[in-house]
Amino acid sequence: MNCFKVNDIYDYLEGILSPERREEIEGHLALCPGCRQAVEDRKLIAGAASSLAPLAVPDAFTDRVMARIAPVKVKNQAWLIVLASASSLLALTAMFMIASRSSALGILLSAGRSFWEYFKSAAVLTAKVSTLLTLAGKTLRPLLEAAYKGLSVLTSFIHPGLQVLILVLAIGLVVSLFFGMRKKFSLGD
Amino acid sequence: MNEEQDQVLVRRTLRGDRKAFEMIVRKYQQPLLNYVGRMVGEREVALDFTQDVFIRAYTSLRSFDPRFKFSTWLFRIASNLIIDHWRKKKLPTFSLSEPLGQDGDRLTLDVPDDEPAVGRKFELAELRQRIEAALERLPGPLRELFVWRHVNELSYEEMAEIKGLPLGTIKNRVFQAKEMVRRILQEMS
Repeated sequence: MNCFKVNDIYDYLEGILSPERREEIEGHLALCPGCRQAVEDRKLIAGAASSLAPLAVPDAFTDRVMARIAPVKVKNQAWLIVLASASSLLALTAMFMIASRSSALGILLSAGRSFWEYFKSAAVLTAKVSTLLTLAGKTLRPLLEAAYKGLSVLTSFIHPGLQVLILVLAIGLVVSLFFGMRKKFSLGD
Repeated sequence: MNEEQDQVLVRRTLRGDRKAFEMIVRKYQQPLLNYVGRMVGEREVALDFTQDVFIRAYTSLRSFDPRFKFSTWLFRIASNLIIDHWRKKKLPTFSLSEPLGQDGDRLTLDVPDDEPAVGRKFELAELRQRIEAALERLPGPLRELFVWRHVNELSYEEMAEIKGLPLGTIKNRVFQAKEMVRRILQEMS
């Protein structure tokens, strides 16, 4: 055969030739010193290129990458949660029925009785709280009236423009306090 | 690069396991830096780019199609980042599917009778140094293929998958990259 092309050398070195073609090339290499040298030269360069030194990765590299990434948002499978809750509730009811050896109607009746007891207790509590609030109102009313009268007397002495200024300053103070607290306690975005 | 293990790590990361992504970073930081470092030259820039590759991979992990290899997906992200970098810096680049022109066509000639041997002129360490210097003179898209083939030891199929080009085109371009490196080495000696 004639001397082969350069890409044949690379295919030969890569070992991607058919056995017949490989045999043909090896036969030629045994007879042609020029092609032998061409193959040897490219083999040496390929060997050196495949053993180039790795570039040094800093020790803290992984930590630096991990510090820059936020946690992945896991998909919220709401239907799965509902299904799990319903199954758990059913299983609990079944277990309770088996343990107490009572029928579904019996359980419903006892649940209704318990609910009625809770309702009665809540009604008594609400009545007591409303009585307490009425008493507090009666006690605080004279104090609030006195404060209102005091404020009326005070405003009659201060110029209306100054009153507006004080009001604006007070609102500003309340708003900045609110945002300051919000930031301090990170109350949501 | 154990593909099955990668797929498991990807699934775990998507379930919110940060440790799994950390394992991915540890596994690929060295091969990616070896590639990126030779593409951008400066070490600090290369480290930043490699970090960006992992962050992009993490933020778009849901778009990863498990029918493909994770390693090729990662290298594609890196390659796209580098092409963007070249474009921003207005560095010369070209599509691998376009012909190289007269310069590249000359590389497919027969082996010349009086071809000087380059590889044997130098000790292995010096040859490696000269290859690194020759790579800097190699056009970016060909340098990329040379590094993938020799440093990252990617297969032609993997390279074709990353670049989205036919296998034959990739094989031809890798051969041209190798022959061009050899020619630069010849000019340097």
